[in-house]
Amino acid sequence: MGLLRRFLWPAIWLLVLLAFPLVWDTPFQQRLGTLVLLYAIAASAWNIVGGYAGQVSVGHVVFFGCGAYGALATYTHLGLPPIAGLPLGVAASVAIAAVVGVPTLRLSGHYFSMATIAVAELVRLVVANTEFLGAAVGLSGPTVPRSVLDLSFTSSLPYYYLFLAVLAGTLALTWRMENSRMGYYLRAIKDSERAARSLGAAASRYKMRAYLLSAALTAVAGSMYAIMIGFIDPESGLGILISVKILIMAALGGTGTLFGPLVGAAILVPLEEISNNVFGGGGAGLTFVVYGAVIMLLARFQPGGLLELLGRLRARAAGRGARRAA
Amino acid sequence: MTATLLQVIAGGLLLGALYALFASGLTLIWGMMNVVNFAHGDFVMLAMYTSFVVWKTLGLGPAASVPIAALVLATVGIVAYFALVRHVMRAPMIAQILATFGLALFLRYGVFWYFGANFLSLPDNLVGGTYDIWGIRLPAARLLAGAVALLVTAGLHLLLTRTMLGSRMLAVAEDEAAAQLMGIRPHRMQAVAWGLAAGAAGIAGALISTFFYISPTVGETLAIVAFVTVSLGGFGSVPGALVAGLLIGVIESLSAYWIGAVYKDIVTYSLFVAVLWLRPQGLMGKA
Amino acid sequence: MLLEGRDVTVAFGAFRAVDGASVGVREGEVLGLIGPNGAGKSTFFNCLTGDLTPTQGSVHFAGQDVTRLPPEDRAALGIARSFQVPLTFEGMSVLDNVMIGAFLRTAHTGEARERAGAVIERVGLAPFAHASARSLGTPGRKRLEIARALATEPKVLLLDEAMAGLTPTEVRQAIALVRAIHQSGITLVIVEHIMEVIVTLAERVVVFNQGREIANGTPAEVTSEPQVIEAYLGKRAARAMRRGA
Ligand SMILES: Nc1ncnc2c1ncn2[C@@H]1O[C@H](COP(=O)(O)OP(=O)(O)O)[C@@H](O)[C@H]1O
Ligand SMILES: [Mg+2]
Repeated sequence: MGLLRRFLWPAIWLLVLLAFPLVWDTPFQQRLGTLVLLYAIAASAWNIVGGYAGQVSVGHVVFFGCGAYGALATYTHLGLPPIAGLPLGVAASVAIAAVVGVPTLRLSGHYFSMATIAVAELVRLVVANTEFLGAAVGLSGPTVPRSVLDLSFTSSLPYYYLFLAVLAGTLALTWRMENSRMGYYLRAIKDSERAARSLGAAASRYKMRAYLLSAALTAVAGSMYAIMIGFIDPESGLGILISVKILIMAALGGTGTLFGPLVGAAILVPLEEISNNVFGGGGAGLTFVVYGAVIMLLARFQPGGLLELLGRLRARAAGRGARRAA
Repeated sequence: MTATLLQVIAGGLLLGALYALFASGLTLIWGMMNVVNFAHGDFVMLAMYTSFVVWKTLGLGPAASVPIAALVLATVGIVAYFALVRHVMRAPMIAQILATFGLALFLRYGVFWYFGANFLSLPDNLVGGTYDIWGIRLPAARLLAGAVALLVTAGLHLLLTRTMLGSRMLAVAEDEAAAQLMGIRPHRMQAVAWGLAAGAAGIAGALISTFFYISPTVGETLAIVAFVTVSLGGFGSVPGALVAGLLIGVIESLSAYWIGAVYKDIVTYSLFVAVLWLRPQGLMGKA
Repeated sequence: MLLEGRDVTVAFGAFRAVDGASVGVREGEVLGLIGPNGAGKSTFFNCLTGDLTPTQGSVHFAGQDVTRLPPEDRAALGIARSFQVPLTFEGMSVLDNVMIGAFLRTAHTGEARERAGAVIERVGLAPFAHASARSLGTPGRKRLEIARALATEPKVLLLDEAMAGLTPTEVRQAIALVRAIHQSGITLVIVEHIMEVIVTLAERVVVFNQGREIANGTPAEVTSEPQVIEAYLGKRAARAMRRGA
């Protein structure tokens, strides 16, 4: 039973994820699945600092943008395949995270949140005024793939499996962190920073590590995005609404839980795509009105997210069952 | 040359007075209950639209729109407090940040949805004319806005430091439980703080709308300006916000003049990062 | 001296909560710190652990100046503490709480769990190992804080009113635990309000009042001064002394 619970469900879910684009195989469905995975990567990366370390970044798009611009700037200026720019994007992300994190992670978490949003806007403005990075027009990837290394495909299918692999890697890394000393320390620091420090947990150092890891993984998501779409501009790569989406997906599914961000992405990405299809451009404003309302309701009634709610309901049902049996 | 420079500095001071006014609201709430209101910039934005509606429907200028916007926003602030903020104050910080951030999105895109993304503006002649003071030419709209903002900020400071209401709010900020024992109701005082803070944002927004374009996303920039002001001035300090606001107004004007208008926000935001690195407790805060 | 505060002053504005106190504990000793409420015991204690930086004066541990060292670095050197108002990790199990301490000496999760299990056994919390820390009462929490601190394998353990709020039976059990900890070779600093505890445990006692050290000696020496008892320990402690004598 224990063994079954431990391996059967993950195996079933993995199978579902692998088979999804083969069963739901219209281009729209495949694209939808691909976008879910992409946002799940970004939201899972956010979760490392926002959920596990409890430091709420509201400007995570800056790392997404680093990854995206890293990829396409490498193609534009060096003629290399976009994927070759990924390390560049990761390095830029880590540098920016250090600039934001070093002074703020020692202070109350509000400073951190304010700094994340301000720095994201700062970078967006700088990029929008930098010719080298395409300024307001943006950068494009290869229009015709020169080799398979350009990772430029017409179908979403290859991207789906690529993103699935990256997501699996991200979640595996998160899982390892969760069960390592760092995971234990982060939970303790979130609970009582003072007590954790008295026991030897260097709070700001561990928060910083979580932030750097999160930034690096978000940059990977950004590179993936740019490689798939083949175009990036200050709005699509550094706009505040991407920060919002990343944040709300993690919060809806459940911050500080392994699968919460994936659940959040699986709910919100289809909703947004459908609402865009139904309402056209006019729906864009409405989508974010709804997002705002959802975030407020979550904060007010269920800050732990849907997975926590599910767990609580299940525990209550089990409790009722046990009482009935007794 | 010097006259132009003086004019730029004077314009910066007038703008800075407005920054000081709406940043005072943010600093008041932070100082009183350790909550950062991420919707504060959108309160200002809402006030700008209120001012626009007042002009559109009643044909009236700031004499009417300033008090109306103050009332509308104070109501929004108090409702936000009772319906939302009060319930998340003791929750983990993520709930606090999500709550006000969600409110910001809700207001921003509610307005976007209703009014559209187009930039609106009030007619130039609503507060017409230009004054010439010692060779410095200042548009009347900016002069009026700056002067009123200074007065209201000073009034807010006096209210907090010289009145019974102010001492009660301070008592709640210092020690909620002790204040309660003294017969003060913390929730009521905190609601008053939200009303005052949002009301200040309302006045600022109505004043800004007389000379600045109106758009749903203008609050985002203003919120960051308020963060810079408050962090520079020290959290919880209205005089700090005043000095910092004036300083930032001047820095913005000068950088727009010297480097170019598109770079003024870049300069302001960089200033924020610099403050965090060099003096996170603010210019006037204790170490 | 193993751990020592020299001329420590802590000022909150104009008010000096600790005013030029010099107190140290020798290796292997049990030092008692007593004094009326508000005497500055916790404030001085927090300077030793790194939670506060003294306004003036310095703190030394094993010959090293640690005045500017943050709490986590002092923990690594071998200073462990409990809190007057327990700060257990409420969202975690008892075992996980203790593992946080154990992680100071090992990065390996399995090993930390093993060591934490052993400590839990030692302090008598084994039946609650998998219970949530939230479900423990005050005595359980205080015991859990001691367990957590022990798991860091400290050289010196500082306990801030670890027995306040316990029933007489619980106090007896706690005293036995503290004795056992001392016998295992750990130096102790105990801040207490309850006189019995100090008398039975401490080899040397320092009396604090209004931020200053006013007496220093064996429990017998200090407590034989009636004015110390009456003036600085209060009437309750004075009665307890007569009962004890
Ligand atoms: N952070 C602080 N700010 C201002 N006063 C403080 C602070 N911490 C403690 N005090 C004051 O310092 C004095 C000593 O407190 P404390 O060290 O806790 O005493 P004890 O532990 O001996 O009861 C008390 O009067 C207390 O009110
Ligand atoms: Mg004390």
